Amino acid sequence: MILEARNLGWSVRGRAIVSNVDLAVREGETLGLVGPNGSGKSTLMRLLAGIVRSTSGEVRIRGQKLHGMPRRQAAQLIAFLEQQAETTEAISVRDAVELGRTPWLTPLQPWSDEDDRVVRQALADTDMEGFECRSWATLSGGERQRVHLARALAQQPQLLLLDEPTNHLDIQHQLSILKLVADLPITSVVALHDLNQALGCDRVGMMSAGQLVALGPPRDILTAERIAAVFGVRATIVVDPEDGTSIFRFHTA
Amino acid sequence: MNFCSARPTRASRLGRGAMGAAALFAAVLAGTCIGETPIPVLTVLQTLANKIFGAAHVVDPIDVGIIWNYRLPRAIVAACCGAGLAVSGMVLQSLLRNALADPYLLGISAGASTGAVAVTVAGLGAGAVSMSLGAFIGAVTAFLMVALLARAAGGGVTLRGTGQIVLAGIAGSQLFNALTSFIITKSANAEQARGIMFWLLGNLSGARWPDVWLAVPVAIVGLGACIWYARALDAFSFGAESAASLGVPVRVVQVVLIGLTALVTAVMVSIVGSIGFVGLVIPHAARFLVGVRHGRLGPATALIGAVFLIAADVLSRTIVPGQVLPIGVITALVGAPAFALILVRGRRRS
Repeated sequence: MILEARNLGWSVRGRAIVSNVDLAVREGETLGLVGPNGSGKSTLMRLLAGIVRSTSGEVRIRGQKLHGMPRRQAAQLIAFLEQQAETTEAISVRDAVELGRTPWLTPLQPWSDEDDRVVRQALADTDMEGFECRSWATLSGGERQRVHLARALAQQPQLLLLDEPTNHLDIQHQLSILKLVADLPITSVVALHDLNQALGCDRVGMMSAGQLVALGPPRDILTAERIAAVFGVRATIVVDPEDGTSIFRFHTA
Repeated sequence: MNFCSARPTRASRLGRGAMGAAALFAAVLAGTCIGETPIPVLTVLQTLANKIFGAAHVVDPIDVGIIWNYRLPRAIVAACCGAGLAVSGMVLQSLLRNALADPYLLGISAGASTGAVAVTVAGLGAGAVSMSLGAFIGAVTAFLMVALLARAAGGGVTLRGTGQIVLAGIAGSQLFNALTSFIITKSANAEQARGIMFWLLGNLSGARWPDVWLAVPVAIVGLGACIWYARALDAFSFGAESAASLGVPVRVVQVVLIGLTALVTAVMVSIVGSIGFVGLVIPHAARFLVGVRHGRLGPATALIGAVFLIAADVLSRTIVPGQVLPIGVITALVGAPAFALILVRGRRRS
């Protein structure tokens, strides 16, 4: 068990945004989080990343309490990609990826050859070699998301948290980002909007009104009844004649 | 813009540091030589040798007086203020992710003005409090009020609330500026109003050695903190949440750095008045020249700020014969077109 949340909750001004979430992330798996807008996915991700402090319950990473752990130590274990982080600074791709080394450096422990190696590897893993000198402003949305992913990999985390990494990307880039994440030998939790994409995860958790209402293998969780109850749409299953995979088609209820 | 310069080696970093120190020394030297009575460089160097190393060069005592009692401390204070204000501006721009942030954003200059006016015009402190001390107290009071307001408005609580700090700063500045105007129109005579006006635009003519002993350590602490937190400041490139996920203790860094910039700015303003433009524009100029990584940007900003303010001070003393202009007028008059040039050139290169 790499990450464990017990009775996790967060409320603001008396309104519960996330409540009673029990969740255990297994070593090596890709866990998908689905749910309608406002169901608390992003907040849950922030709670799991430890950048928002829970108002109830606790998160443990490798058995250690996340709350109370120094930020530096937490960032050496968990990398978090928020939705569409942007900058107006004139930074280069290499600058952006090098930020991932922040938790491993101190003023007395400066940049080393090992850090250079990790950054090169992260760029290679995300197919961004050769982009080092490009400025952030000249990158496309898909390239930016890859750089963010490279930055997260440069953190050398044991757990990767991705909040809708395919948001605003065209279909080709959506698929390539997801494939990249799936192929990485790293435990990850991914918030997703596309339920068909969620079918590709090892397990899926479904959020509704701040609660984790179901958790398990994708085919068990993503059923027509549950989708109707949580998303308010009618889902029918169709089979792709090419490989026999069944996918969802959605209709207004 | 070259986005991928090679990582500097230790030797090249030392070389750059030495060049920076040489440029700073040359600027201080020039600031000491140039003036209504020009003094040869040799005389200045001989005087320094006499005073610092106890050498026995023969120098005109009048020159010695001008150099040692007036121009040298003035140039050093100018350098410290330029460096301190520019670094403060840079830190606030990076932390708040607002290109328009400057050291006076947090109500410090407005508070300092009110404090200075309260002492000199309204006679607060009954002569026991100097104008500098009054300005310092005013600056710190205004900053604390702004900080409390920002906190009450939720600015310090969430990672996304930097906008509240800016708004609180605007409210605080307006309030204290109104108080300053109120005191001036109610009690000041024409002579006092002119003197205050001069101080409000920045005035280095009162700079003496005690000011140097205050300004130098404060500037060094400000720059040191910025270098110490360079990687944390880099991590704010994609916002505070991103910085937090990169392992930066965001709240601690914000409180320490905003508090320090407030202190640095308050000290500088209480010595020389509120010199505008430096804290806003020098950091941008430095970004165009050396890029956005704070390990390099911090020292570069400090150096450019120091040299710029010495140059502005020299101009303010010499541009109109027989009259000293407020330095804030020069910083804006010379700095604005210079900055426009950098903006246009930077656009072409990138």
